[in-house]
Amino acid sequence: MKNVLLFLIQIFLLWAIYQFSSFIVGNLDFPIPASVLGMILLYILLSSGIIQIRYIEKSASFLIRHLALFFVPFAVGLMNYAGLIKTTGMQLLLMIAGSTIIGLLITAGLTQSLSRREKERTHHEQSHSHSH
Amino acid sequence: MNSLILTLISIVLTITVYFGATALSRRVVSPFTTPILTATIVMIVILSSFDISYEQYSSAKEWITSLLGPATVALAVPLYKNREIIMEKLMPAVFGLVIGTLSTILSAVWISKTLGLSDTIQATSAVKAVTTPVAIEAVVLIGGDPALAAAFVITSGIFGAVFGPALLTVTNISDPFSRGLGIGTVSHGIGTSQAVAEGPVTGAVSSVAMGASAIITSIILPWVYPLIQL
Repeated sequence: MKNVLLFLIQIFLLWAIYQFSSFIVGNLDFPIPASVLGMILLYILLSSGIIQIRYIEKSASFLIRHLALFFVPFAVGLMNYAGLIKTTGMQLLLMIAGSTIIGLLITAGLTQSLSRREKERTHHEQSHSHSH
Repeated sequence: MNSLILTLISIVLTITVYFGATALSRRVVSPFTTPILTATIVMIVILSSFDISYEQYSSAKEWITSLLGPATVALAVPLYKNREIIMEKLMPAVFGLVIGTLSTILSAVWISKTLGLSDTIQATSAVKAVTTPVAIEAVVLIGGDPALAAAFVITSGIFGAVFGPALLTVTNISDPFSRGLGIGTVSHGIGTSQAVAEGPVTGAVSSVAMGASAIITSIILPWVYPLIQL
């Protein structure tokens, strides 16, 4: 019972941070999603030691594990687009698939090759300084 | 009273279908058993066969999705725990994010043009990779349609969640950091929900990429989009 209560308090804390962020974003002329601002806020609270990681860890890992569930109702909204899917569904899918694949491989490929190169460089520098 | 019961049933149904979908994904490992895909299809089939419209389902939707904000905020925890690994790769990440976001926008508009899709669809395609709240605001600035944007965003998210991990694997992109960055950049939160299944680093980086690509897109789009039209 005590554990359940603690768990709910943790979720409430995360919810409160989110509500606060929504309020800030609503009064701000900057394109940032409230949830992302909330993430930054929680990160600051964690690094400054105001919130200890053990206070929220249980509920955080629970919510993250089931992140996909919270998107299902939005995805079900695609049922309202049956007409569009029938007429131009194939072209739209081609556009979404093509662009997602291009963006994904460029982003991840570029990041991986750049970070490998950087690692090799620092490795070289280190082995260089060792030989001196 | 009736609508209250419908709401309750819809909530229980969604949760049950979701857990069924995750159980299936554990038993049959394949892109096609990605929970967000199978759960969505099953839910649409059930609602349609009982003649329940999306509008009738919307009160259940409100309840379930009210945890989406707190869940995204919670991603700060893996981010904080893995902060050293993430800081180490900050420069490659910034390059990857900016070039990746640009190529996502350009390729979407270019493919739409090539396929002869309407001007509205071309403009809307430019925001398809970023999280819904930002997409529906950014799309208005370049003459796209917000409702259509939400549909594109969801489809991109599902596509990225379903095929992203497998595509990265066949192209030998094995670094968890780079995988997370790619998935979050092109398929926002829905992709992130799948990235967290790969591990804490991939999930945390994916959520950072989701936020960063949303900010980059909405800042550069009003400048870049007119240039694409030239």
